[in-house]
Amino acid sequence: MGQFIQPFLMFGLCVVGGAGVLLALPRGGRSPQVLGALLAGLVLGVALLVLGLNAGHEHPLPYFYIFALTGLGAALRVITHPRPVYAALYFVLTVIATGGLFLLLSAEFMAFSLIIVYAGAILITYLFVIMLATQAPEEGEIEALADYDTSAREPVAATVAGFLLLALLTSFMFKGIPNLRPGELAPAETLLADMPRLIEQNFASHGLLKSGEHVVLDSNKHAIITEAGVKVTGGQGERVIAKSDWPSDLEVTNVERVGFNLLRDHPGTIEIAGVILLMAMLGAVVLSRKQVQIDEEAKRLQAMRLGDNSGGAS
Amino acid sequence: MTLAQAGLPAAMGGATLGHYLVVSAILFTLGLIGFLTRRNLIIMFLCTELMFQAAGLALVAFGRYHMNFNGQTFVIFVLTVAAAEAAMALALVVLLFRRRESLDAEAWQDMKG
Repeated sequence: MGQFIQPFLMFGLCVVGGAGVLLALPRGGRSPQVLGALLAGLVLGVALLVLGLNAGHEHPLPYFYIFALTGLGAALRVITHPRPVYAALYFVLTVIATGGLFLLLSAEFMAFSLIIVYAGAILITYLFVIMLATQAPEEGEIEALADYDTSAREPVAATVAGFLLLALLTSFMFKGIPNLRPGELAPAETLLADMPRLIEQNFASHGLLKSGEHVVLDSNKHAIITEAGVKVTGGQGERVIAKSDWPSDLEVTNVERVGFNLLRDHPGTIEIAGVILLMAMLGAVVLSRKQVQIDEEAKRLQAMRLGDNSGGAS
Repeated sequence: MTLAQAGLPAAMGGATLGHYLVVSAILFTLGLIGFLTRRNLIIMFLCTELMFQAAGLALVAFGRYHMNFNGQTFVIFVLTVAAAEAAMALALVVLLFRRRESLDAEAWQDMKG
């Protein structure tokens, strides 16, 4: 894989990108936000382009660039947009772009569960709370942006810290990546042995199994797959369907591999995840049931306001 | 068994591991900067979700590179933790908002030790 990018160029890109993000952060209208965002986006494009050129023969597909640029651009808007609702919607865009990158990595199950769980569930909760916690403008009044949304806290220190971290991360990454060796996909047979029903259905749909025949199971209810092929039994006694005769679509999909990995190798972790979710639910219920004491004056004012509204409506 | 037989494209979507890790690192950095600079409590927690995304992307990329499905399995648990975090954080934010009628993190500056 070799050297990805010159260290000097990389640190330069980090500095310019940091300056762009710094300018793009909201500072009460005193900062040229658009210019900063453009600068940051430009640096991002250059960085990805340089990476692409240095990757040698493997030129990334346009999809990678589209998803990466969409995701990172939307992430930049999440942290710079002064309106919380828009920030949350840009976050949905980031989630979808990340889902696209997962698809490119052939993690289909994770891509769609990410979109369902994040964009579908978590973000709706965020939007609910944003709506709940934003005061509606008085009638006839233009909605004003809250001061805490339009001015950033310690933008310089935060950006310097962030891009220092990025420079460190990338330099260590580029040092370490050439030492990595890609792994081999575990052969499908080891997993297929656990799925005799899948083999039976596949063979039957291709007419390889005669009526009454079924796959021989060992004491653990696994199919017996040997060097020669898989053993089946039935009307005319045992025979072996050779691997060369196996249909080409008898394969283990990504979802099946993830499922096997999850349920066979990490059963305890699933239990712990369940406990975490239960505790979070209990915690949220207990926290939000807590009554906040409002003093008598505030109560009287609120009652008066409600009375006015109902009076006006009737 | 070749990669194409397993229904996987030969390369990682045409890009290398380094590409995905760089995207993940930049996403994480943006989330970190957002968490440090934004003063709106809700946006601060949204930025932690950005960092979760970055971690998940790195996990899936490494898992794909090493052909080890633990990477994807772990993203499921990251999702679980993110969901739990969102529930707790938002309950806390609602509670804090009811007390000060503001989402400003600096309204709670007097808690500084």
